[in-house]
Amino acid sequence: MARFRPISRRAALKGAGVTLALPWMEAMMVEGKAAARVASPKRFCAIQFPFGVAMPKDGTPDRPWGWFPMGEGGKGKPVELSNPLRPLEPVLDDVTIFSGLSHPRCRTMNGHDTGDIFLTANNLAKVTYRNTISLDQHIAGKIGEQTRHASLTLSTDGGVGPRTRTTTLSYNADGQPIPALADPKLIFQRLFAQDKASRDDMKKLESSGSILDLVMDQSRSLRSQIGRADQQKLDEYETSVREVEQRVERARDWVNVPLPEVDADSLTLEVTPESPKEYLTAIYDLLYLSFQTDLTRVATYQVGSMGPSRARNFPQSIDIKGDWHSLAHGAGKKGGAEKMGRFDEFMTAQLVRFLTRLRDTQEGDSNLLDTTQVLYGSSNSKTHVNRNFPLLLAGGSKLGHQHGSYLRFSEKVPMSNLFVSILQAMGLEDESFVDSTGPLEGLS
Amino acid sequence: MVSFAVPASGEDPFHEAVEPLLEKLCYECHGPETQKGDIRLDSLPREYTHAETWHDALDQLNRGEMPPRKATQPSAEELNVLTSGLNAFLREAAAAKRAEGGRVEARRLTRYEYNNTMRDLLGIEYDFANELPPEPASPDGFLNNGNTLEISPTQIETYLKVARRGLAIAIPDPSLEEAKTYRYQQSETALGYLPNRNDGGHAPVQPEYILDVPEFPREGKFRVTITAKLANPDGADFPKMVVSMGHVPGIIHVPRKTIGEAELSSMEPETFTFTGRMEDFPLMGLIPFGRSGFKGQIVMVDFVNADGGQLRYPDHRYAVKPPQPKKGQKAQPKPPTPKPFGSRLEIEVVEAEFVGPIVETSLLSLEEPEAAIRNFAGRAFRRTVNDAEVAPYLSLFETLKAEEKMPLIEALRETCAAILVSPHFLYRAEGSGAENAANYQLASRLSYLFWSTMPDEELFALAKEGTLTEEQVLTEQIDRLLSDPRSEEFVSRFADQWLGLDGLDRVAVDPNTFPDFKESLKHDLRGEVHAVFSEVLKNDLSMLELLDSDWSMMNRNLAKHYGLSGPRSASFERVSLPANSPRGGLLGHGAFHLTGSNGDESHPIKRAVWILDRLLDAPPASPPPDTPELDSENPDFSKLTLKQQLEAHREKESCNNCHRNIDPWGLALENFDPLGSWRESDSINTTLPDGNEIVGVEDLKNYLLENRRSWYARSVVRRLMAFSYGRSLDVGDHEVVDALNDTFAEEGYRLRPLLVALLSNEVAANR
Repeated sequence: MARFRPISRRAALKGAGVTLALPWMEAMMVEGKAAARVASPKRFCAIQFPFGVAMPKDGTPDRPWGWFPMGEGGKGKPVELSNPLRPLEPVLDDVTIFSGLSHPRCRTMNGHDTGDIFLTANNLAKVTYRNTISLDQHIAGKIGEQTRHASLTLSTDGGVGPRTRTTTLSYNADGQPIPALADPKLIFQRLFAQDKASRDDMKKLESSGSILDLVMDQSRSLRSQIGRADQQKLDEYETSVREVEQRVERARDWVNVPLPEVDADSLTLEVTPESPKEYLTAIYDLLYLSFQTDLTRVATYQVGSMGPSRARNFPQSIDIKGDWHSLAHGAGKKGGAEKMGRFDEFMTAQLVRFLTRLRDTQEGDSNLLDTTQVLYGSSNSKTHVNRNFPLLLAGGSKLGHQHGSYLRFSEKVPMSNLFVSILQAMGLEDESFVDSTGPLEGLS
Repeated sequence: MVSFAVPASGEDPFHEAVEPLLEKLCYECHGPETQKGDIRLDSLPREYTHAETWHDALDQLNRGEMPPRKATQPSAEELNVLTSGLNAFLREAAAAKRAEGGRVEARRLTRYEYNNTMRDLLGIEYDFANELPPEPASPDGFLNNGNTLEISPTQIETYLKVARRGLAIAIPDPSLEEAKTYRYQQSETALGYLPNRNDGGHAPVQPEYILDVPEFPREGKFRVTITAKLANPDGADFPKMVVSMGHVPGIIHVPRKTIGEAELSSMEPETFTFTGRMEDFPLMGLIPFGRSGFKGQIVMVDFVNADGGQLRYPDHRYAVKPPQPKKGQKAQPKPPTPKPFGSRLEIEVVEAEFVGPIVETSLLSLEEPEAAIRNFAGRAFRRTVNDAEVAPYLSLFETLKAEEKMPLIEALRETCAAILVSPHFLYRAEGSGAENAANYQLASRLSYLFWSTMPDEELFALAKEGTLTEEQVLTEQIDRLLSDPRSEEFVSRFADQWLGLDGLDRVAVDPNTFPDFKESLKHDLRGEVHAVFSEVLKNDLSMLELLDSDWSMMNRNLAKHYGLSGPRSASFERVSLPANSPRGGLLGHGAFHLTGSNGDESHPIKRAVWILDRLLDAPPASPPPDTPELDSENPDFSKLTLKQQLEAHREKESCNNCHRNIDPWGLALENFDPLGSWRESDSINTTLPDGNEIVGVEDLKNYLLENRRSWYARSVVRRLMAFSYGRSLDVGDHEVVDALNDTFAEEGYRLRPLLVALLSNEVAANR
């Protein structure tokens, strides 16, 4: 049985947002069926931001504002953090920073089109812009059964957005984008379903099954009366209904497992992206809570799309003039690197708060961060440039990663090698992902 | 003058100007003799099935990789003709490909259509679409494009959830409790310690009037009634009340949401009624939390002047008792002295009332549930339903009652919920009905096009008779729908999507550059475009008025913003413009200047793309990969004027290929700053791609009217068709575009005849 570090009431209220959390091990004992959720949980979370980072040349006075660490780096060598990543210092033992990696198939894409492929590693099909499955959904397909929610997809903008500027990182096996949730309050309701109406919905699982059967028949009979293109649209409908049927099935397995009780009042959920710090705090808190209570083990969060995102205004929150996009465009101009760098530093600090909370949460004989891989980065280095992604991987020391280094790679090494390493650390047997050539060297 | 041989949209993209250039520039290496890289262009079919190869060819041209340096180089003009031609072809190919094997006719309801339809079908006000994910715009900017409108498991779950909640309201338990009423005199309101700093995305909360609702319903409809009058007869403009509800201070902020607002224009007391549903508003949690001792909901009334600025006592104090200090804490400062409300303000509240929860009359009769289900299915599917179609629902109803032991009312709601997740409801498939299918289909075409909702009783009745498709009836109905206030849906939806006005929400105006800017200006700027479009539609004026006119629509704030005077109200009214005013037509509208900016500086490229894409339907290609940054290495670069920077930009051949055709359109508008205010500029002399030299916005307007009128007209026709059909246009539409385009010109570019022609044509095509 796991031991839990005693948490003061104050810490519980102010910090965790959880008063009576039901960690995974206890849940396992409540419901016999959930015993399939063997071994200790392994988790994965990907966070992507748009437009890249400041990259002043080595030796210039602006260099400390460049995102990438200084010097040659290398396995086991000390990491010379520059200002934007300085907040990582307290967790550096749990972090590896990479340079040189990108998705080779995406290098010829338009500069702002690569938000879509951060986790899919594939170029979009020409003309139709069809994508392929994303890393998180690949993982969720294999371990999603073990939790109440197979995965959690979040973004600041919500929904799916237009192709090449999608507002989600997650794509299903058909390459269809999965709508992201954006509103902290709705995310909370979805996860912890506290209100009466949500509980009533849960009670109606039996009739939900009958309703879905019925509408499936309706869709089939409608087919005969409509054109081919419409029938393809009905495929989408039927696939979705079938998926909901499966979710209803799964919800039945979980209906007797009480939801973890979480104190909503200690979270600030009534926030909007107009105040980025509070918004990011809420999103990271929700990610943290969904892992901590084991409602899911796979999550993505897109900080901003490269389209007309609500996140473009984030820099103003720390009194930096201009929107994110123009900040990125101006990063090469005089004084531009510092502006961009200060904002990057702010973003890193928000991430580190999340990482620290994971690390400070005991689980068994280790902590949550040791079993949670957090991938953070952008699919532009400088704006419009689809190479040398700024990337870091945090957590997962118990899953086989050796952190604390800055690893530089040549452009020949695809980022999907990192994906293979992530998959293997998840305990999956994947040998490859899209264009990978093997696991990434130097991470284990 | 240089001839401008780029094809207008709708022409054959491989028109006579493109083919000779391909031959001159490409065939030496990619022709009958040699096929470098295994590419042969002369015999490559000009068909959509080969779009990918043409796509590669275009990319290489754009990147300057082809023709190779050693070979004959195209002139800038030639390159433009070639790339524009290929672009037009690829756009069509894209649309055709997306439509793969046919067009999507039975498209899903959009979020806003779903919301309106549920409202009208269930007869209740509720935020039905709140939890549905936002929808992407199609490549041509529309939200109602059948191909772009996808469906996901999350949506199906949400539809079911929302249907159940809506039905629980529309078919209430007969035993529901009576509504509670709280009445207020102005002196009774009191509450304290509201935060006054910006936090958590919420503006400071300093209302002038507060209604306490100590015991409040957690769900159900509520009504707030406020009787108020103007207190100051000499005010320059009419103030507003903004009524919102939330709960007492949480940790740092007051969560609240606006219920409604009303402009006060009379010295006599007027009564205003606002309604909403409790569950749509931030509610005090089940375990109350926060600094205040008050654990109820509060309704706040803010007094706002026409500029959007808050009206306040000079020495504002709430009539309030602060929370008592807890043991061991220092005593709070002495309670502030209560002041009478309203005495020196523009508005005086006479009395106020809160009532809730208000129980709805049941939508469906519990006496004859089978008939009720049948009737509901017909309205939900927007057509007649036959016995065979209703049978599965009736059998579900019986099963739920018998096997699940569900009470009748619950089984009825669940059966209706099944109807509301059926594809017949969620998709526009009215044509699949047996009886008068074409008529029912047309009824929905009309109602969704003009009102963004399901047909009303009259449309249903005409469809049932089978007379709606008759030309005379159709014309009358188009007139009726457009004259109804609900046609504001068409005005705002079409204008927003055609002109990309949602962009306004995404521009962050820099408070350092524009310290006086208020968010409400965006609302007024959008309102201007809507009002002008509405005025043109209502009076059946020429759409050329949107390019230039001697009038515009303004409210008090906007007129003030533009340095004009006249309107006193927040409502828009028609104003005649002074002879030298640049405000006539869309190019003078601040909405477009602001979306064409980064919130700090104007952005000529964005403005140009907007003109080319939205007004002329000739969008430039997206920037190629690895687009270099502007001259960041050159420290002097940032010292250059914008025009010089853009010139430097165009000096780079890789940039110039595209930008020489883009930038001039935006530079002509440099007299408008990001907020649309007039300013001096020395960048406005510019040469358009066809060699025409123009100076500033007046020249540009004249140029568009004289040299690009047909492009603009065609753009209006095409965008209206795309919006009306709910899909992107493809090659198969060229003939109809041409025919409608002729009608549009013959009818003096008026929208109503165009709409009649468009819809009649559909009827004819379906026959």
